[in-house]
Amino acid sequence: MKLRLDEYAELNSPLHGWEPRYKLIGITVLIFAFAFVRDLRLLPAMLAVSGILYAFSRLPLSFLLARLRVPGFFLLIVVVLLPLFSGTTALFEIGPVAVREEGCLDLLLIVVKFVSILTAGSVLFGTTPFLNVVKTMRALGLPAILTDMILFSYRYLFEIGGNLRALETGMRLRGFRGRSLAGLSTLALLAGTILVRGHEQAENVYKAMILRGYGQGGSFREGFQARPRDLAGLLAVLLTAAGFVAAELFL
Amino acid sequence: MHIPDGILPASVCLGGYATAGAAAWYSLRKIGQKENPREGIPKASLLTAAFFVASWIHIPVPPTSVHLVLSGLLGAVLGYYAFPAVLIGLFFQAVMFQHGGLTTLGVNATVMGVPALLCYHLFRLRRLFGSDSRLGTGICGFLAGAAGIGLSALAAMVILVTTIPAHLDAAAERASIYALTLAHVPLMVVEGVFTALVAVFLLRVKPVLIEGECREAPARRVRGTE
Repeated sequence: MKLRLDEYAELNSPLHGWEPRYKLIGITVLIFAFAFVRDLRLLPAMLAVSGILYAFSRLPLSFLLARLRVPGFFLLIVVVLLPLFSGTTALFEIGPVAVREEGCLDLLLIVVKFVSILTAGSVLFGTTPFLNVVKTMRALGLPAILTDMILFSYRYLFEIGGNLRALETGMRLRGFRGRSLAGLSTLALLAGTILVRGHEQAENVYKAMILRGYGQGGSFREGFQARPRDLAGLLAVLLTAAGFVAAELFL
Repeated sequence: MHIPDGILPASVCLGGYATAGAAAWYSLRKIGQKENPREGIPKASLLTAAFFVASWIHIPVPPTSVHLVLSGLLGAVLGYYAFPAVLIGLFFQAVMFQHGGLTTLGVNATVMGVPALLCYHLFRLRRLFGSDSRLGTGICGFLAGAAGIGLSALAAMVILVTTIPAHLDAAAERASIYALTLAHVPLMVVEGVFTALVAVFLLRVKPVLIEGECREAPARRVRGTE
């Protein structure tokens, strides 16, 4: 059950060794400080901080580039539309369309914030095994129902995904092509079958878990032990985040 | 409908976390009223994973294909577990597949999870037709599926167009919201039909899935009445 996300979670770096609770709090606060920035003069500092954080993590650049490759539908819309429709000052014209200065600056702000936040998030999830992240969230007060649901869903996500692929292969072997909306009812049966199988599997899983003592409690705080350098790291990141907020408010 | 990081201001992101926190609290409170709240967790979790996987199915909408959101179906089957399920699904998508974002997780969960809860109540209207009625299940399934994506799309577009840091005038903002929401109407129809078909299939094959075994939150039994 090893994801690409967990591929480099066992490396040896200051970020990998950072106590997970402090790391989660520190990087989350930093990410929100990045989201707070609107002043263009702070963008180079934001890129530098996220770059330094990534360098300290010793994660390979390919890991970050693979995650940056999926910028999302909205970001594509923004890239295409903002320079054309935001603002009034024309920088230059492409045929009948004017490219506007304000739109380009808005675009720059959005793209740099996106890259910086994604880089910091990649450090957080790339240097901590996913199951440790969930245990850390539980230790920090996330309700037990949510953590249990995350762990169960994570455990069965790829197994059910394998079921879907097997069913789709079977459908193709029987001649289903699904190139028009006429196949919608067949695809609905496919989705329904996935749900029915998931439900039946859940009943067996629940009975097996009860036999193994599920619901008897247990502490998620076990295994977490902070050292002075973990606290120093947290303070450094929190001060950096506070610096961005202060600069945004007072510059 | 997965708004990524960097687009929304921090105040909107924090507001999204506040509304998502309130909706999660409400859902967990309803779930907690069950006699054994943990009993439904494995079922809801596996169905969360199953929904997540089912949303990978490509639906052909010539000349392209789309992935369905299934928030209406999620509400119909999972009831009050729907909001935690949406929250977890979006968390997985943000962390594993970079769809959506960490700062926008609250906004995205609110935009997709609150309509799922509304769709749960919408789907329950099928009781008016009788719980075995395929027609009633189909109609309410269609309404839940279409409303789920319609409300989510409208909310996402309003948030995006009105809070994005851009120099757009009010008329352009309104036009953008109308245009982007209208663009979702064909998807509402497809999602509505798909949800109706799945709901009728479940009624035939596994009616317990839509009859509320894992979604109902019956009042806690009063001690001494057993």
